[in-house]
Amino acid sequence: MLLFGASITFLVIRAGPLDPVSAILGPQGDPQAYNAIRDQLGLDQPLWQQYIDYMVNMFTLNLGESWVLQPDTSVYSLVVSYAPRTIWLGFWAVLIAIFVGIPLGFYAGLNPNTFSDYIASFGGIVWRAMPNFWLAVILMSVLSQSEKFFFGFNWEGFLYATNVTGPPPLGDLTSVDGFLKALKKIAPAALVLGSASMGNEMRIGRTAVLETVNSNFIETARAKGVPPRSLVWKHIFRNALIPLVPIITGEAFILLGGSVLVESVFDISGIGYLFFQAIKNGDMPLVGSLMFIFILLVVLINIMQDFLYTIIDPRVGYDGGA
Amino acid sequence: MAQKETSAVRSEEEPLLSVDNLQTAFFTDKEVIRAVDGVNFDIHRGETVGIVGESGSGKSVTARSIMGLVDSPGRVLSGSSITFRGEELTEKSEKQYRSLRGSDIAMVFQDPLTSLNPVYTVGNQIKEALRLHQDLRGAAATEEAINLLEAVGIPDASRRVKEYPHEFSGGMRQRAVIAMALACDPELLICDEPTTALDVTIQAQILELLQDLQEERDLAIMFITHDMGVIAEISDRVNVMYAGEIVESAPVEELFENPRHPYTQGLLQSIPGNQPDADRLSTIEGDVPTPNEPAGYCRFEPRCPKAFEDCTRVHPASVEVNDEADDHTAACLLYPEDASQAEAVELHEQLESEREVSER
Repeated sequence: MLLFGASITFLVIRAGPLDPVSAILGPQGDPQAYNAIRDQLGLDQPLWQQYIDYMVNMFTLNLGESWVLQPDTSVYSLVVSYAPRTIWLGFWAVLIAIFVGIPLGFYAGLNPNTFSDYIASFGGIVWRAMPNFWLAVILMSVLSQSEKFFFGFNWEGFLYATNVTGPPPLGDLTSVDGFLKALKKIAPAALVLGSASMGNEMRIGRTAVLETVNSNFIETARAKGVPPRSLVWKHIFRNALIPLVPIITGEAFILLGGSVLVESVFDISGIGYLFFQAIKNGDMPLVGSLMFIFILLVVLINIMQDFLYTIIDPRVGYDGGA
Repeated sequence: MAQKETSAVRSEEEPLLSVDNLQTAFFTDKEVIRAVDGVNFDIHRGETVGIVGESGSGKSVTARSIMGLVDSPGRVLSGSSITFRGEELTEKSEKQYRSLRGSDIAMVFQDPLTSLNPVYTVGNQIKEALRLHQDLRGAAATEEAINLLEAVGIPDASRRVKEYPHEFSGGMRQRAVIAMALACDPELLICDEPTTALDVTIQAQILELLQDLQEERDLAIMFITHDMGVIAEISDRVNVMYAGEIVESAPVEELFENPRHPYTQGLLQSIPGNQPDADRLSTIEGDVPTPNEPAGYCRFEPRCPKAFEDCTRVHPASVEVNDEADDHTAACLLYPEDASQAEAVELHEQLESEREVSER
């Protein structure tokens, strides 16, 4: 899987219209310098040679150096400085989705066709239908003039003075102050990023609960005299989680990829932003390494998903049986 | 099971469960469906009462009404009475009902493949019942669960108790469900088509198991099925249901030898083995009507080969089929057969006027 992904990445980068040399030189480069740099970067070598070098480097985690964006900085140090912001953003986006979307969905599923169910379901659809970038822009403009909309409530001055946009201060997460500050900074972006997944998880959670409630074993449990509270938590909850596992992990990917937009709107220079810039400028090693990291993450999340399955659903085992 | 004994006991002892004028209706936007409409029957200790009828005749709703498990938009109507050991069940609160469910009245459902929770071990689910009603926990509960599984004939129970439902076969699962139902030593076991989803050899095993358990524990069993063969095998007494009403009630042998209600006669005739020489299987034409209004007529009349004019006008009450008959009732204007037809119709009219029909 890793091999395949890395190979495809290589192919796409090399076969594509990326030309790092002209990016370094700018539009007025003379051919002499062009060839020199080309030679220096090793781009004149035969393709198979480049491929082998690339693969060996990837798998020995020798990620190389940035060529264009920040010349002579190692990709590794770039990733280390950019990644935490994205992780921080993605983490809260996923948490918001899980801790708002799923409980809402379960609540709606347990009280089907009531007024609150309709409110929640309708909200879920609307929430789900709002595009990321649109919501991001709206939220940003509303929050930056919050006094006008919320009767004098000032978001920028609330708790800590911050701008709506800009990267979160992650230097000092261990203290309560620093943590809250970083949290507040990331909240609008995380809300936007998590919104689609939140709506999704709500809808699917609702369906899953409805399906479980109407299944026979719930009736058997009721006939056994199980009180409603334990019926919900023991018998319904765990069964309804099963269809949600792939949704949650699937969304974790989207959060990684989809963060590019949100990161640029909120001016959070995270991985997504870095990736975007790297592609634009033809920074081959950076693009290749980031792709490699993404592939690695996808594989890891998949493994985690399978692992979660085996915990929740005993019918899925390691031995491939059942 | 010994027929003579139970009928002797019947007259002396007060019934364990007594259902009187049970009416359960489902209130939908379009109409009110009276799924169970004025059902009366008794169950005594150690007795098996069978309820037969076509799909949609209200058998399962009767069972759920007794368990207090009728879901909205359905409701047991006022005027219905279900007494269990002399206690009125219809007035119980949900909480009081819960302590009864599983401990005194237990239920086994139709489909064993889906009636166990797939994410918990079989042992866990049996122990849940033990914990709820007998406050058994930990090792004691595990041991009791193993004993129960052994009692229902599951070999290697100490290993099986730790397995999940998907590791059990269909027949095994139904045994496990029965073990779960028996966990708290109920007095009444309601079986809602427990053998329908199983193949014939397993069916026979389960029926045998139920009979053994009944003898051992003096269980009263209410057995719901649409399979006449199964009913003949297991019941002491049979109630035939049609469109929410009990149309005939008799001890099992009497019912099979002398079916009186035209519907029962039709049912028995349509068993393939009863007419080996016929070219075509005789059937009852038509479908079960949906009982969506209180009946002022006989609900079987459109399909009845013996229907006459008064059938569209008078709703039949349950009466003894004739003077000699002991304990054999039918709800049909043809009976009691020793009275003239005009007299019989008059009797039914009079009984009907005394019946209490609830609208809500």
